[in-house]
Amino acid sequence: MKAGLEVHQQLATNKLFCACPSELSESVTAVVRRRLRATGGESHQIDPAAAFQAARGLTYAYEAVTTSCLVDLDEEPPHPLNEDALNVALTMALLLHARPLDEVEVMRKIVVDGSNTAGFQRTALVAVDGFVEVAGRRYSTPTICLEEDAARKVGEEQDELGYRLDRLGIPLIEIATGPEIRSGAEAREVAEELGALLRATGKVRRGIGSIREDLNVSTEGGARVEIKGVQELRLLHRYAEIEEERQKVLLGVQGTLRDRKVLPPEGLPMDVSDALRPVASGPMGEALARDGRVIALGLPGFSGLLRSPPGSGERLGRELADSARAAGLRGLFHSDEVPAQGVDASCASTLRARLGLGPEDAFVLFAERPVGSAERAVAAVRRRARQAIEGIPSETRDPLPDGRSRYSRPLPGRDRMYPETDVPPIPVTAERLDRLRASLPQRPELVRARIVRETGLGGELVRQMQRSGDLELFETLVGQGHSAGSVSRLLTQDLPAVREQVPSGSERFSGSLLDSVLTELDRGAFSKEGLPPVLLALSRGAVSVEEAIQRAGLAQMSTTELREAANRLVSENRAMIDERGPAAFSPLMGDLMRAVRGRRDGKEVAEALRAALSDRPAPTGGA
Amino acid sequence: MEEGSLSDPWPRLKGLPMGTTVELAGADGRTWQGTLVPSHELSGERIVQLKLDSGYNVGIRVHPADRLVVLERPARANGEPSASGASPAPEILPGHVALLTTGGTIASRVDYRTGGVRPVREESEILSFYPDLSRDGPVHVIPVFDRLSEEISPPDWATLAAHVAEAFRRGAHGVVIAHGTDTLAFTSAALAFQLRRLPGPVVLVGAQRSPDRPSSDGPGNLQAAVRLARHTTLGEVVVLMHAGLSDDRYAIHRGTRVRKMHSSRRDAFQSRNGPPLGWVGAEGVVLDQPYRSAEAGEVTVEPLESRGGILWSFPGLDAASAARFVEPLRGVVLAGTGLGHVSSIHLPWIREAVKRGVVVAMTTQCLEGPADPFVYATGRELLRAGVLYLDDLLPETAYAKMLWALAASTDPVEVRRLMKLDLAGEFSPRHSVGGPA
Repeated sequence: MKAGLEVHQQLATNKLFCACPSELSESVTAVVRRRLRATGGESHQIDPAAAFQAARGLTYAYEAVTTSCLVDLDEEPPHPLNEDALNVALTMALLLHARPLDEVEVMRKIVVDGSNTAGFQRTALVAVDGFVEVAGRRYSTPTICLEEDAARKVGEEQDELGYRLDRLGIPLIEIATGPEIRSGAEAREVAEELGALLRATGKVRRGIGSIREDLNVSTEGGARVEIKGVQELRLLHRYAEIEEERQKVLLGVQGTLRDRKVLPPEGLPMDVSDALRPVASGPMGEALARDGRVIALGLPGFSGLLRSPPGSGERLGRELADSARAAGLRGLFHSDEVPAQGVDASCASTLRARLGLGPEDAFVLFAERPVGSAERAVAAVRRRARQAIEGIPSETRDPLPDGRSRYSRPLPGRDRMYPETDVPPIPVTAERLDRLRASLPQRPELVRARIVRETGLGGELVRQMQRSGDLELFETLVGQGHSAGSVSRLLTQDLPAVREQVPSGSERFSGSLLDSVLTELDRGAFSKEGLPPVLLALSRGAVSVEEAIQRAGLAQMSTTELREAANRLVSENRAMIDERGPAAFSPLMGDLMRAVRGRRDGKEVAEALRAALSDRPAPTGGA
Repeated sequence: MEEGSLSDPWPRLKGLPMGTTVELAGADGRTWQGTLVPSHELSGERIVQLKLDSGYNVGIRVHPADRLVVLERPARANGEPSASGASPAPEILPGHVALLTTGGTIASRVDYRTGGVRPVREESEILSFYPDLSRDGPVHVIPVFDRLSEEISPPDWATLAAHVAEAFRRGAHGVVIAHGTDTLAFTSAALAFQLRRLPGPVVLVGAQRSPDRPSSDGPGNLQAAVRLARHTTLGEVVVLMHAGLSDDRYAIHRGTRVRKMHSSRRDAFQSRNGPPLGWVGAEGVVLDQPYRSAEAGEVTVEPLESRGGILWSFPGLDAASAARFVEPLRGVVLAGTGLGHVSSIHLPWIREAVKRGVVVAMTTQCLEGPADPFVYATGRELLRAGVLYLDDLLPETAYAKMLWALAASTDPVEVRRLMKLDLAGEFSPRHSVGGPA
């Protein structure tokens, strides 16, 4: 496998071509409905990806928020490029040893999926020929671009997509690496190192979605595939591995098709509603019940190749369904799925006979509703089947939450780019670079060395916090007087565990909230064993640390209560204590800790137990 | 491949046609390969623009010691589509819509050399932008000018009026004029006074976003304008543009009561002193205000005078400058403040001009509401000085009407009478409480 990464980091400056703040918002003030068409650039050629998207003929509903302006809505020309954002990009260029361009030219990249109101994304190449070092290995970063983020999708209906304008126009730095990454794990490491460098500039946005990865994967004999917009860094290697597996399976299919000397499918689709009406269930049954029909397309030579091979989760059948879905049709059924959705072997053989197919041939069924709506999906499936014979298509894919990805659109080419003439070119002067060089942020490895020196923490622990983006938070909290040990434990153990359990709640953990958590801990409001339940309660909506302590049932046990609990335990276990002597301490301690449930520190619990044991009246009798 | 030369590559680079693929090797060891594209007119000194394989354009400073290698010459200069000058004139079908093009954003594309937008010249190029244009019936494209609208002047209005009349004579059901938006409302007002007995709709239409961008408002506006031009009873000059920011509703404005009220929004055009005549939307063409019906018979074209002007009053405007501006004119429209006032320092030259036979008319720069001489003493004095108050006529409309009236008569008394007649729905007798539409 050869993989390259594109890291997209949102900047915390104002937007790239207007003076709006780079903030997400929930206060929608207006909805504007638009349509987009594919247009040609300088060469007057329409890009295949653009034509594909425009052919869907959708309406786009844009939600303007309180911080939106006319530039966001493409109702006002863009303002000059944000100089602060350009400075961050140039700073990154210097940190990556890259070569800034003499003059930055803003381009329009045609994207007509509605995510940009203008129908294009503005993007500029800022620097070339950089590199980053990770674990002693050098990875090239051929390009550093500055571009505007797209609107975020908030709704999807049959003929209309909903987008919110808050994210549109937020500056993004895009760093592309060369195809030098050899595994999913390596991809993650490179991404984390680039993330640490970006954060070192101090001008990046934080939180979910503020850094996104595109993964370009090529395999031996396969194709270049771009998986666009991975937000979860920890899934990066899963995407790479599953893509490798997918390409392997598809290459296997191609081999078999070649062996069978299969030709591209050419038969016409056929209405088979009458054969399916009595039996069909699922999407097909639904289509037939409601003014729809079922169309069959024969795929000669494809039988057995649409399902997953043993031991794999990948299959051509899903690729066909994905291409139909991208062409606007859900509910594709294929002959390797028999029996399902009411189609059994006898129904399948009826259909084969109707379509003039033999046992080596496959067929696909389209649940079409309303009649006539599947035309593009049929063409897309036919095309995808033809591509299966030719190999693996180069394409853009959307990441799914489970580490798989799904066909999105063809890979765009150079025809999608033409100059943004509304924005003048920006010269990058030697003086400007000198100024930025003079105020370059400390490189991540130097920051690590300094923190190790200042706190005495282990280098690996510090690196871990830097990779996860928590090092600034660490310094803040230590600066507020908390001990380096407890802060690092919070950030590397307790917090990640809670984030894993409640991913949506992790946004809540601001520096000030964690400061109060640690303050309450130091004050003795709860013990350090109580930290995970308190954090969990906070991520699940507790509005204050006090409330979290209550919800976790951790209100501090009083010293009297603790002493009474210890005494009670000792008197209940008198026989065992007499029998085992000092060895009884350990099991008793376990029992008492369970009773205390984190409401007192372990050390205090041990002291209370020891006191109870020594107060115990001496065994009577004898003499 | 041609060998690199040791001399400064800059002069040679400037001589290469756009589209040439070159390699530039810098003295610092960096090599660039790309296609020459026109440099932005605001580009820096000795900056060459190359389009890389990735599609990005980069600006590279060319040093005298750089080495230039020409890798590939362009097959055809700049990849422009071939001219279709030799194609036969299309057949004119009865009941067609005539589309007169004048340039402007709606018929413009990005000029990659100047960095701005430029008008298209070829009918085929316009049809390539708007392939759906003749979906509902024949459309005959007649290129008239290829100018941005700030370059269109009163003699051009006369040319346009003649083309409209000719189109109707050749059987057009309606006429659409694609026009730049800057001065579109001047043209619509002028045509409304020049064209008499219209047999069908004359629809002026523009775009606020050039058609080379996917989000252009041009296609929707033009499609709706062609639809409106097929209307069976409408017989006046109207302007059709976006009604709001969405691409689903288009307002129909009377040509004499419309104004561009925003520099960039797609709903920049607004009817003043009353609601639009109606709209085009999902429900079709809806005309919910009284409109002028199409008339049978031959359309006539009336001429325009050129010696008219608008003078925008402002604090500090000195009387001598104003008098000098008015000196060569036969008529002037004052855009006064408030209810139609100018400083009393202007009274002497106004009295003198009126005595000379100049028609001095008053409108309000408020652009909404009437000019009224009776409320303040200044107004009454201006009235006594011979200023003609034009009620709620927009300054631009008053100017267009003035050019027409001056051509219609050499007698100032008659010109003043004509100016006060409601000829094209330009006056609104009522101003509803609802305010601006």
